[in-house]
Amino acid sequence: MKIFKSLLILFVLLSQISCNDNDAVASQDFVIAFKEQSVDFSTIENSKTIQLTFSEKAAYAGSVTLNWTADQATYNTDFETFPNASSGQLTLDFAAGAAGVSFEFKNLIFPFDRSDKAVTFKITSINYGAPAVIQGYSSLLVSFDRAIGGTVLPDVGGPNQPNQVFVDLSTNQVVLSRRDLWDFGFYSGSEDRVVLNGSLYMAATALDQNNIDAVTPASVQGLINQVAVGTFDPTNENYIDDPKGDISETAIAEISANTADNKVYLVNMGYEIGTATPPVGSVAIAGASRGFKKIQIQKTAAGYKLLYANLEDTTHREMDIQKRPDYNFTFVSVTNHNQPQVEPLKDKWDLCFTVFTNVIPGNGSYGYSDFVLFNRKAGVKMYQVNTTQVSYANFNASHLEEQRFVLDQRVIGADWRDVFTGGAFTDRFYILKDTDGNVYKIKMLSMINTSGWRGYPSFEYRLVE
Amino acid sequence: MLQQLLFRLNKNSIANMKYALFLSFLSGMNVLMAQEGDSLSVLKMDELIISGQYNPQTVNKSIYEVRVINREMIDRQAGNNLADLLNQTLNMNIIPNANTGKSGVQMFGLDSQYFKILVDNIPLINDEGLGNNTDLTQINLDDVQQIEIVEGSMGVEYGANAISGIINIITKKSVQHKWVISPMIQEETVGKEYNWRNQGRHIQSLKVDHNISDRLFANVTYTRNDFMGFWNDYHGKFHLENDGKRGFEWLPKRQHTAKGILRYKHDNYQLFYKLEFFNEGIKRYSNEVLQNYDPATETDQPVGSDAKFKTHRWVHHLNASGRFEDVVNYDFSFSLQQQKRAVEQFQYDLRKDEKFDALSQIYESRKGYYSKGNFSNFIENKTFDFQMGYEFSVMDGYASSLAGTFADPINKKLENYDVFASSEITLSKKLSLRPGARVLFSPQFDNQVAWSMSAKYLFEKGYELRAILGSSPRLPNYEELYSYFVDVNHNVQGNPNLKPEQGKSAFLHLKKQFDFQPNAALQSKVSAWYIDVKDKIDLVVVEVAPLAYSYRNINAYKTFGFTWTNNIRYNDFTAGMGVTYAGVSQELEAQSNQKADFLFAAQFNVNASYPVPTTKTVFSAFVKYNGPINQFVQRQNELNETVFIKGRQDGFTWFDASIKQRFLQDKLEVTAGARNLMNIKSINTTATNAGAHDAAASTLMLGYGRSYFLKLLYKINL
Repeated sequence: MKIFKSLLILFVLLSQISCNDNDAVASQDFVIAFKEQSVDFSTIENSKTIQLTFSEKAAYAGSVTLNWTADQATYNTDFETFPNASSGQLTLDFAAGAAGVSFEFKNLIFPFDRSDKAVTFKITSINYGAPAVIQGYSSLLVSFDRAIGGTVLPDVGGPNQPNQVFVDLSTNQVVLSRRDLWDFGFYSGSEDRVVLNGSLYMAATALDQNNIDAVTPASVQGLINQVAVGTFDPTNENYIDDPKGDISETAIAEISANTADNKVYLVNMGYEIGTATPPVGSVAIAGASRGFKKIQIQKTAAGYKLLYANLEDTTHREMDIQKRPDYNFTFVSVTNHNQPQVEPLKDKWDLCFTVFTNVIPGNGSYGYSDFVLFNRKAGVKMYQVNTTQVSYANFNASHLEEQRFVLDQRVIGADWRDVFTGGAFTDRFYILKDTDGNVYKIKMLSMINTSGWRGYPSFEYRLVE
Repeated sequence: MLQQLLFRLNKNSIANMKYALFLSFLSGMNVLMAQEGDSLSVLKMDELIISGQYNPQTVNKSIYEVRVINREMIDRQAGNNLADLLNQTLNMNIIPNANTGKSGVQMFGLDSQYFKILVDNIPLINDEGLGNNTDLTQINLDDVQQIEIVEGSMGVEYGANAISGIINIITKKSVQHKWVISPMIQEETVGKEYNWRNQGRHIQSLKVDHNISDRLFANVTYTRNDFMGFWNDYHGKFHLENDGKRGFEWLPKRQHTAKGILRYKHDNYQLFYKLEFFNEGIKRYSNEVLQNYDPATETDQPVGSDAKFKTHRWVHHLNASGRFEDVVNYDFSFSLQQQKRAVEQFQYDLRKDEKFDALSQIYESRKGYYSKGNFSNFIENKTFDFQMGYEFSVMDGYASSLAGTFADPINKKLENYDVFASSEITLSKKLSLRPGARVLFSPQFDNQVAWSMSAKYLFEKGYELRAILGSSPRLPNYEELYSYFVDVNHNVQGNPNLKPEQGKSAFLHLKKQFDFQPNAALQSKVSAWYIDVKDKIDLVVVEVAPLAYSYRNINAYKTFGFTWTNNIRYNDFTAGMGVTYAGVSQELEAQSNQKADFLFAAQFNVNASYPVPTTKTVFSAFVKYNGPINQFVQRQNELNETVFIKGRQDGFTWFDASIKQRFLQDKLEVTAGARNLMNIKSINTTATNAGAHDAAASTLMLGYGRSYFLKLLYKINL
C-alpha cells in the first residue's frame, strides 16, 4: 500500500515540474517607418508618392507627424508636398485597418538646374491608441546622391520564376524581363562571343559541319540525349557556358573571322517557363521542352550574322546583330525572330535574380532556381562575409578587404537559401562594389512569401561608408 | 474454461453443449482463480488459438507454431496500443517515426509491407493498406483477449503480403457476470515530461460488458489516448526564433477509439457484429520559423508552416460460424472498412495566433469491403479434415500527391478474389500433415499462387517437431507503381508493370516440456528458419544518359536464423527467456560490386513475474536486448562511384518493469511501472543509405527515454 501512496504522490509532484513552455508570444509595439531610405531626386520628374509603412495593420485610427530639413533646396521653389508642409511639419492621419500612409513629393525643378539639392524627411511622433515606436527607416533622403540602402523584393514571379530581375543598388532601381524573351546573347565587348540562355537550361555543341542546311535530325541522333542539362554526366559541362561568367569560356567557341572555322551548332533550346502549380515551397521551373535547333554564327564588321533553322529544315533564316557597347549583350530570340530589350545599360545593374544553369562538380550541369548573379561583365565585384568575423549591422568601411573581391558571378549564387525552410542563411552576408566604386553590404532575407510560396526573394542592403 | 467450451460447441452436438454449459458454471470459480494465478501463457498448453486453425484449438494441437500474448501479459505491461507491447518480442522491432507520429513494425528485418495485422481473423484497414503498413499506435487493446503471432509466410491462410508473418488480435466476446463496468485511467510520463496541461500521456477508458440474455452478449468500449508529444529540447508551438527548435521532437496526438460488439450464440451457430470507430488528430509544427523581418520597421512577423492530420477509421465486421446439418462447419466474415487521413496545411502567424492560407485535402485513404468464408469438417473423420474457402477484398485507394512523389493524386481500385484449400491429414498418432494452396486472382496483377506444407511429428518423451513451409506474394505499392518525379535534373518514375514479389519461408520447431515436480515445469523450444524474398522491388538506374530511375523486380532478400526460447514455472514464479541469432543477405542485382554476404545479429529477451503469495502483488520485469546490426549500404566514394560499405547500427536494450496490486475485494486494479528503464532515446547508426538528395542519417530515433506509468482500473461486476 505504501508503495502506491508514494507513487501517487510522485505523480502529483511530477505534474508540478517541467513547465518551461509558453502559451503565447510577446507582442511587438506598433512601428511606422518610411518604406525606402533614400530616393533619387533625378528620377522624380513631376511628383513621387512617398510611402510610410506600418509594422502591422493599424488597430486604431491615429496620425504620424514628420518634419523636413532641406539642403540647398527651398519649399515652394524647388519642391513642395501634398498635404502642405510649408510650416516644416506634416501630419498624416490614418484610419483603423490601414497598412500605411503616404504623401506626395512634388519636384519643381525639372529639368534639373543643379544636382546638390537634398531634402530629408524625419518621423517625429506617432499618435496611436497603443504603444508605438519610431525605429528602422525613420528618415528619408531625397537627393541626387547614391542610395543609402533599402529593402528590395525582386519580382521573380513565384514558383515558376518567369522573370529575370536586374537590380541597381545605387539608384535603387529594378528592371525585369521574362526569361523566355531571348535565346542567345551576342557579346558587345572586344571578344566575339555568344552566350546561351542558361535560365531556360539551354545547351549546345559544335558539329563537324559547316553547311547548316546539311544538318538533319538523323545526323545528330547520337547527341540528342547528351546535349542537355542535368544528365549527371560530368562531361556535359562542355555544353553550357562557364557558370563563373567568364566570357572566354562559352559553350559556343569564339566566332572567327575565318568563316570556315565557324561550325554549325546543335542547340538544345531548353524548356519553356513552367506553368504547373507545384506544392507550396517547391518550384516548377521547366515546362515543355523547346526542342532542338541548329545555328551558325559569322563575324561581320558591325558584329555578327546568325544563321538558324529548325533541325529538320533544309533552309535557314539569317539575322544581323550589332554590338552595342553600352550594353553587355545584344539579345536575340530565334523563337520570335527578334532582338528584344533584356538587360538595362551595363552600368545600370548590379545583381540579377534568375533561374540559372550551374555545375555541380563531378555531376555536370544542374538546373538551379532562386539564383543570384552579379554583373561581372560590367566590372562589378563581390565577396562573402561570415557573421563570425563581423555582423552585418557592424560592418563598415574599416572591415573592407579589397583583396577578397572575386570575379565568379556566383558569390551569392544558390548558397544563400535554405531550401528546406525557405529562409536565407543568417550566418553570411555579402559585399558588393559597383562600377562607380560604391560599396554596399547585402543581406538576403527570404526566398518565399508569408504564404510559403517560392520565387519571392527579398534582401536588404546598405551603403558601406 | 467457459470460452473454450463454447468454442468446442461448434464441433459438438446440442446434448454435449448443455453439459458443457453446466460444466462451465460449475467451473466459474475455478476460472477466476486460474486467471489470478496464471501468468505465463505458453505453459498453459490448453490455451485456445485461432490463427491458421480450422477451428479454435489448443496450442499443442496446432500444426502451426503460434505464439500468444495473453491479457495478463498485456496488463502487466500496461499496453494500451500494439506499439506499447511488441518491443519485447523476439525477431521484431518497433520503428517509430517522429515526423509522422506513426510506428511500424519490422519482422525478420522486413518492414510492415511484408507483414499483416488481423483483428478476429480478418485484416484491419489503415490509410495505406489492408492489413499492411499498419500504424501500431492506432490499434487499441482495451477489448483484446489475446494476441497471436505466427511467424513465416502465411499466403494460404491469409493471402498476399503475409511474407514474414501475421499478428492476429482476438477480441473478448464474453464475460461471466450480467454486467461488468470497467472505468480506467492511465497516466504516463513521456521521458521526464509530465503535467496535466501539455505534457505526458493521459489515457481514459470505459468498458461496459453486458449479458443481455443467455444467448446475447454486448460490449461497448471507449478509450481516449492523449499523447502530448515529446518536447525534449524543442520549445513547442510558440517558439519565435528560427533555430530549428520550434515544435516537438515527437508529434503530439490525440486518439479516440469507440468499439462495440453484439454476439448472439445459438445452439449450433453464433453470430457477431462488431463496430469500431477510431479518430486521431496529429499536429505538426514546423521546426523552422519564417521570420519575415522587415528592415524598414525593424519588426518581424514570425510564421510557421503547420499541418493538422485527422484520421478516421470505420470498421464493420459481421461474422457467422457454426455447423450446418452435421455436414459442414462454416465461418463467414463480411466487413466494410474505411480509413481516411485528411490534412489541413496552413501558415500560422505566431504573434497574432492566427492561421492563414489554410488548405484541406484528403492525404491518403483506403475504403472497401472484404469477405472471407471457410468450410471445413465435411465429414467427422479423425484422420482427415479438409478446408476450403474464399477471400475477397475490393479496395478503393487514394493517395494525394503529398503522400508520395506523385504528379497527380493516385486513385486506384485494388481487387483480390482468392480461393484456397488445405487439408489436415493425421497419418498416425505421431504424424500429421497439412498441405494447402491458394490462388489469388486480381485484375490488377497476374494470377498468383501461394502454397504451404506443414507437418507435425510427436516423438517419444514429449518432443514435438513442427516443419512449416509456406509462401506469399507481396503486391507492389503505389510508390513503386506510380511515382513520378521528373524535372530538368531528375527522372524517377514508377513502373506500372511490376510483378508481385515472391516470398517463401521454412520453419522448423522442436519443442519439449519438462515437468520436474507438480509445481515446476520448463518448456524449451528450438526453432530454425529461412525466409527468401525473390523479385524484390527496388529503385534502380534504368538509363545512364540522361540519368533515369525506375522500379524493377530485381533484387533478393534472404534471412535465416535460430531461436531458442524457454519458459519456466516454479510455483507462482514464471519466467521466459529467449535468444535469436539471424543472418540477412541482400542481393542487389543492379550493382556489380555489391556485397551479398550474410550479416548476423542477435537478440535476447528475458521476462519474469512473481506474485507475492500473501498480498498477491505481482512484480514483473521485461528485458529485451537488440544486438548491433551490420548492413551493407550504398555510399559515394571520393571518385563519385557507388561503393558498398558495411554500416553498423548500435545495440540497445528495452527494459520495462511493473507492479500490479488489487484492492477493494479485487475491484480496483492498480498497475505502476516504468518503461524504457535504460533511458533509450536514439542510437547511432551508419547503416543507412545516402540518397541522391540527402545524406545518410547518423542516429536512429527509438524512444523518448525512461518513463513511468500508473494505471487504475476499476471493475464493477453486477
